[in-house]
Amino acid sequence: MEVIINQQEEKTLVELKGRIDTTNADQFQQEVSPLMEGNQLDIDIDCTGMSYTSSQGLRTFLLLQKSVNARGGKMVLRNMNPMVKEVFDITGFSNIITIL
Amino acid sequence: MKKRFNPIKDKSSEIINYLMASPDMPDDEALRFKLRLSIEEVVENVVRYAYDGGIGWLEVSTQLDNDSLVLTVELRDAGVPFNPLEQPDPDTTLAAEEREVGGLGIYLCKQLMDSISYRYENGNNVLTMTKMIWK
Repeated sequence: MEVIINQQEEKTLVELKGRIDTTNADQFQQEVSPLMEGNQLDIDIDCTGMSYTSSQGLRTFLLLQKSVNARGGKMVLRNMNPMVKEVFDITGFSNIITIL
Repeated sequence: MKKRFNPIKDKSSEIINYLMASPDMPDDEALRFKLRLSIEEVVENVVRYAYDGGIGWLEVSTQLDNDSLVLTVELRDAGVPFNPLEQPDPDTTLAAEEREVGGLGIYLCKQLMDSISYRYENGNNVLTMTKMIWK
């Protein structure tokens, strides 16, 4: 699992790679925690390389969305693998997180 | 295939990998994804919560009925009696602000597997999940 954060002038570009599972869910949450504070209000996450997430990973996505909403920002997830997308659909996360 | 892991503290990955390597498992990538996710959620529940400090055993098995093509995955432990299916399902229609964090694991299993059942038998928690597969 890899989280690459690239802070542009107004946009925060993020690239997620690999699997988010029981072995690294805590690490994932730690690595995205910079996105949950300050003025990171326009977050664009490329999920091309994300091949799997367990419920622990979903938990972090929900926390991230709550944090963005609370600060009046916006967040999009792009290029999600169809199997991962199904997990977001089943849990209703597709209704509360913008997936392009 | 059946194996008893003891102790199980920090052994989630090993137990999940053992089950996913079973010859009863399908090759299809999308099916494997659903099975892997469901297995991870239930194994993780036992490893984290069944025993105080993770000191205890977990027996896992797979069985494939070649006529019906129904795969059965079973978990058995001697931990605190706990029926995970009694947890209420999350309300998937709520807004982000109202959604509770957590409680998604078993819900995912219910949605991704064909059936999931729990029984308490001879002092053991027994969780059984089935999925029809195509080899």
